[in-house]
Amino acid sequence: MKTANVNYAQKTNSYVMKQRVTKGLCYALLIFLLLVCIVPVYMLLINSTRSTVQINAGPSLLPGTEFFTNWSTLTTLGVDVWLGIRNSAIVAFSSTFLTIYFSMLTAWAVVVYQFRFKRAMFAFIIAMTMIPGQLYLIGYFQYMNTLGLLGTFAPLIIPAIAAPGAVFFFKQYLDSSVSLELIEAARIDGASEFRIFNSIGLPLAAPGAFTMGIFSFVGSWNAFMGPLFLLGANTELHTLPILMSRMQGDVFRRDLGAIYFGMAFTLIPIIIVYLAFSKYIVTGISLGAVKE
Amino acid sequence: MNKRKSAISKDYYGYIFMAPFIIIFLAFIMIPIFNTFYLSLTDARIRPGTWGGDFVGIANFIELLGEPMFQLAVRNTWMLWLFNFVPQMILALVLAAMFTSTTFKLKGTGFFKAAYYLPNLLMPVTIAALFQSFLGLLGPVNQVMVGTLGIWDTARNFLQNATDVRITVIFLQTWMWFGQTAIVLVAGMTAISPSLYESAMIDGASQAKMFFKITIPLLKPILLFVLVTSLVGGLHMFDIPHLLAGSFGNPGNSVLTVNMLMNNRRGAPSLLLGNSAAISVLLFFMSSFVALVVFRLFRDPAEKRES
Repeated sequence: MKTANVNYAQKTNSYVMKQRVTKGLCYALLIFLLLVCIVPVYMLLINSTRSTVQINAGPSLLPGTEFFTNWSTLTTLGVDVWLGIRNSAIVAFSSTFLTIYFSMLTAWAVVVYQFRFKRAMFAFIIAMTMIPGQLYLIGYFQYMNTLGLLGTFAPLIIPAIAAPGAVFFFKQYLDSSVSLELIEAARIDGASEFRIFNSIGLPLAAPGAFTMGIFSFVGSWNAFMGPLFLLGANTELHTLPILMSRMQGDVFRRDLGAIYFGMAFTLIPIIIVYLAFSKYIVTGISLGAVKE
Repeated sequence: MNKRKSAISKDYYGYIFMAPFIIIFLAFIMIPIFNTFYLSLTDARIRPGTWGGDFVGIANFIELLGEPMFQLAVRNTWMLWLFNFVPQMILALVLAAMFTSTTFKLKGTGFFKAAYYLPNLLMPVTIAALFQSFLGLLGPVNQVMVGTLGIWDTARNFLQNATDVRITVIFLQTWMWFGQTAIVLVAGMTAISPSLYESAMIDGASQAKMFFKITIPLLKPILLFVLVTSLVGGLHMFDIPHLLAGSFGNPGNSVLTVNMLMNNRRGAPSLLLGNSAAISVLLFFMSSFVALVVFRLFRDPAEKRES
């Protein structure tokens, strides 16, 4: 009787040990990957405060004192970071706003009204989510030249009105939250259809708009290929990624501190978005996946 | 008769609300798509004054398919995608299994998930510039390997070595996407009913067995989604190789992708719009064909079983 008990205890002990070791290994992997993700970003921020000589001498964990020197070097070398930020902000904010408003409006139409060809149109929108923008970029590029819009913000901003992925997202979102009774009641009270959308629809989908907005903003802020094709030689309008890539080829070999400073600058809005909204980001990715 | 209560139907507002989307879609997406197909059948070039050309039928396609540079770009693109997708998928599956494990109940999973997504938020330009300097002759990797640890005798010139550049692109793609893939897989795994695992556990199934017999089969739609989106995205790879290794993907075009070739044909000195459009069209056919094959391969067994 006693031996049986000891055996059992030993078995559970070894089981618990095994569990603990595996769990420890899990944490080790998680922390290793965490470092792989964080360390490069940390080094970037640190190096933006160090001089080229210091950077070339070896990596450091602590920040240096050359932040403002790097800033002025970058400005002296003719890289107008503020202009880049302004251009990127104009494009990113306006396209995010357009994407959210018009995708919601389109999704609202699909969810609230019954009309002919609705199903066909929606099926078509879903099919379009599979087509990447780079596919027709060359046709777009030539066509925008014909319209005289090359080298302006228009080709980067206007298509944000027609974002099939966002329409699909809002359709899913509204499906589960719209109450047709509420809309009917608003109609009886004499509200116009636009008023109903603006005062019932928009607030209803606001949390979803927030999630969608983060992705739309980050996508637009980081976009490289589109602006590269469509802004052309108009350096006055170059967004940060284009400005950075010009700097990369040119200034890069001359002053490392300055380029790190430039890189750190591109990160500021991303880090703000990240620190404030990382929960929304994870939920957003999860939602998109499960429902698709 | 009337199911709806309102006397006057407001349903025509459906068209009004959809109109902005439809109009912009037709003008800014549909026309460019047709324009790309049309240009691919012409010898259009960028000339002062006009960006047009004459109809040449499928001449661009015949030329491209027989061209070693195009074939190289196709091979490179596939290789770069495949070698980043496989490790990325394995890593994401392991992570997702860990995050959702009810036996381990790991802490801080939300934090880890968010941290692993961070690289995806960075600007590709910044990522490329950052790793260029990390891997430079005087960069920290060489500083540590030659100076601090003394493992290597001389500094390694990563960016002048074809294999090293390829590995770097593959690493960066994995680095950028494994977090997103893991989050998607976690969402899929959480949707699987816990009662399945409970009854399997009562029957004495091991962790590994449950993973392969319950998790993987039920995750199939999500895996398919991840595979297809990664494939379509991967075949259009442009930013990282272009920014890391220049527009020709040097050294020796080792990371020249199809989209990079498309961009080169449009730019100086080629200025070939027709040829460039034909590359886009071929890429479109290739990615849609493969996506359809993947859908068929994955879907058929399930449909057969149902019928």
